[in-house]
Amino acid sequence: MINRNAICRLSFTLFVASIFSFSSSSIAQKYLGTRLEILTASESNSDTKSPVDLFNETWVRSELDVPNLGNDGDWVWARLDLDPVVDAGLRVEIAYPTIDSLQVFMVCDGVVKSKSSAGATIPKSSREQISGNYPSFYIPVEDCEKLTCYIRAWSGKQLLLPVRVEGSTKLLSDGHARDVFFAIYFGVVISLLLYNLFLYFSVRDDNYLQYVLFIIAVAGTQLVLNGYDRVFDLISSPWLALRITHLFGILSGVFSIFFVRNFLHLKSKAPLYYKIFGWLYAPYIIASILLISGYFNTSYDVINVSALSIVLLFPASIKVWRGGDISAAYFLVGWSVFIVAVTVFVLKDFGLIPYNEATLYALPIGSAIELVVLSLALGSRINQLKKDRQRAREKELNTSLLNEKIQKEQNIELEKSVTARTSELTEMNESLQLTLEDLRAAQQQLIQSEKLASLGQLTAGIAHELNNPINFITSNVQSLKRDFGDLREVIESMTTLHPNSEKIVDELLVVLDRVKELDIPFTIKEIDELLAGVENGAERTAEIVSGLRIFSRMDGNQESEANINELLSSTLIILRSNLKDEADVLTEFSENLPNISCQPGKLNQVFMNIITNAAQATTETDLSRSERQVRVRTRLVTDDGKQFIQVDISDNGAGMTEKTKSQIFNPFYTTKEVGQGTGLGLSIVKGILDDHNATIEIDSEIDKGTTFLLSFPL
Amino acid sequence: MINVLYIDDEEHNLTSFRAAFRRTFKVFVTTEPSEAVRILEENPIEVVISDQKMPALSGVEFFELIMPDHPNPVRMLLTGHADIDAVIDAINKGQIYKYISKPWNEAELKRLVEEASELYQLRTAQDMQASDISKRLYSAQDKLESLATEIESSSVLTIDTKRDYIEILNEAISLLQVPI
Repeated sequence: MINRNAICRLSFTLFVASIFSFSSSSIAQKYLGTRLEILTASESNSDTKSPVDLFNETWVRSELDVPNLGNDGDWVWARLDLDPVVDAGLRVEIAYPTIDSLQVFMVCDGVVKSKSSAGATIPKSSREQISGNYPSFYIPVEDCEKLTCYIRAWSGKQLLLPVRVEGSTKLLSDGHARDVFFAIYFGVVISLLLYNLFLYFSVRDDNYLQYVLFIIAVAGTQLVLNGYDRVFDLISSPWLALRITHLFGILSGVFSIFFVRNFLHLKSKAPLYYKIFGWLYAPYIIASILLISGYFNTSYDVINVSALSIVLLFPASIKVWRGGDISAAYFLVGWSVFIVAVTVFVLKDFGLIPYNEATLYALPIGSAIELVVLSLALGSRINQLKKDRQRAREKELNTSLLNEKIQKEQNIELEKSVTARTSELTEMNESLQLTLEDLRAAQQQLIQSEKLASLGQLTAGIAHELNNPINFITSNVQSLKRDFGDLREVIESMTTLHPNSEKIVDELLVVLDRVKELDIPFTIKEIDELLAGVENGAERTAEIVSGLRIFSRMDGNQESEANINELLSSTLIILRSNLKDEADVLTEFSENLPNISCQPGKLNQVFMNIITNAAQATTETDLSRSERQVRVRTRLVTDDGKQFIQVDISDNGAGMTEKTKSQIFNPFYTTKEVGQGTGLGLSIVKGILDDHNATIEIDSEIDKGTTFLLSFPL
Repeated sequence: MINVLYIDDEEHNLTSFRAAFRRTFKVFVTTEPSEAVRILEENPIEVVISDQKMPALSGVEFFELIMPDHPNPVRMLLTGHADIDAVIDAINKGQIYKYISKPWNEAELKRLVEEASELYQLRTAQDMQASDISKRLYSAQDKLESLATEIESSSVLTIDTKRDYIEILNEAISLLQVPI
């Protein structure tokens, strides 16, 4: 793991560098703490504004170079005895920029010679501050025995009094050095800030924005801690000026927590720490409330104690690092440096390590290093992100390649299955063709059988119809023979008569007796009747046979010119005996019907079917035989300039329901009992009429009758 | 001469029938069922021949119509076409004697009419015999009744009385043809 080694090396270097910087005392300052006498506030002196009243109080000499006056929020007095000769014209510098209220009195032999003010709440114009961030006060040149500098200080924060006496030039050059240092520091911070802001806008990773906020908070803290807000007179409001340090402390803490929680992905990688860090917001909220309420020092304590909890970051980031996130290691290193810096800073305040420029700058240096390392951490995250993206892209590429391959394979499969399906379909098509042919054959057969059935019905009718005339013709011939025998006997006996014979009269009488006996007049009358019968029988037979001849064309499909009236007549002849006991048939034929081109046999089938049905329908009523009627009518009509031959066949039968009417042309639909009909009759009728471009309409009413209206176009 | 009634809606058939059989039978013909009924009532018709297929009513229906009042004349159905339903109806409902198809064979028809006439004679004879037996049974009963009153009035039975009694009983038994 190159990264891990790099991190170890980096942290070691930083550690050595910081130790080196803290221990070097090349720029060590000399603070006069041990010469200071401190008077902490008591009830008697808390409101005292002039040092004159305090000469007799019990002053305590400080033991530290830089007295640490704690965070009590009380007024503190300090006095420094000056050499009126040596120190005159020099300046007293209080190298602590966060003192909120500072008054310096120069007292010469018990008389206040000058009074100066400085601090957060004092506007820049009335501050005793030559330049730079530390306030300093001029020591007047007076002729006195004893010159004492009284310092009255109050702060809403930790209060330290690093005091030294130096010439203006020295103070200015030191101040200049500090300015340069902080200029570099802020330069670094601002560049980091801009860099990360830029990254945020290009990467759109929220971590960068959080980091930018964190940088602002840290840099702001350094700004106010070192008094640069006052140098540049950034804050005009005294209310805010008293709170700005706390505010940046709170912001630093809050943004740290925010940044830590999100940067380390604690929510998913260490949920427990995520929760704990969540709770850490609470003290900052308390601190904010205290701050707003004016409890400056309590608020400051809360902020400092809360800041200690930052050590929790160690176990959390280690856990995440172990979880495989390299950036957590950078994070750890960055924060370690910062914490070391804070430790040094705090230790110096308590005099455990020297209070000098080096220790003073531990915090900005530490924070700068931290910010740089955290930037690296974020950078490693970019790399990580890049790698992840690269990996994702490769994966995507692989996937798409794989997909392409799969698609190719699928295409081949698809083509195969299409080919298979096509051949299947072709086969199916062929078998369907066969089925269709079978069906056609079956249909033909059904039509044939329907035809045969009606032929059978016809044959029966015709047989009956022919039997009557044949019966009386044959019978009449027998009778005629007998009658003629009688006649011949008389005539022969008359031919044997001799006109000249004497017995002629007797012989004639005998013949006449015989004539009487044989009832010859009746015989002659009977002969007439019998001959009429024979004639009638012969006519009727001829008629039936001719009707049959027209009908016998039923089998043929050939077209020919035919007259509808003639066809109807022949159908009626053939049906006569069948209809005899069913209904009377009334005909009303238009005389001037033109011939039409048709298949006469087929039309006969149509008429026979409809007329038979009509007659049948009349038998299904309560009507007596003489009341049952079937009416057959033909007409020539013109509609829309087109000529039609209309045939209407109506009956006064049972009529049919709407249901029957709607299904009547469906094959196999029948209202007859099983075995009585195929149910094909009318479906065949429809087919035949369709072939002739003829239409068929049905008008039917239950118990009233039915009319079939057929229209043949000319 | 045998009295024959022939009913058919076809006039020419009637003429033919009359011409064929007027020499052998006494022929009555008509096309109207009502006329046929009138003829049956006025003449001792022995044989009735009817066509099956007629417009007003069928031959079987005609036979059904006349049977209650004229059960004895023998019925024959004449038809142009063998229709099995008509045959079944003819036997079950019309109780016909013979079924003849057109065109008829004159000799056969003549023979059938003669047979039918014999059947008619037999039927009437049986009817008459039956009425004769019942008459004689009634007279035997009357005699027995008068004998009984005579026995009741006289205290002593004479031998003659006893002989009469036995004679009457024997006659009744012979009439009833009951084997003893």
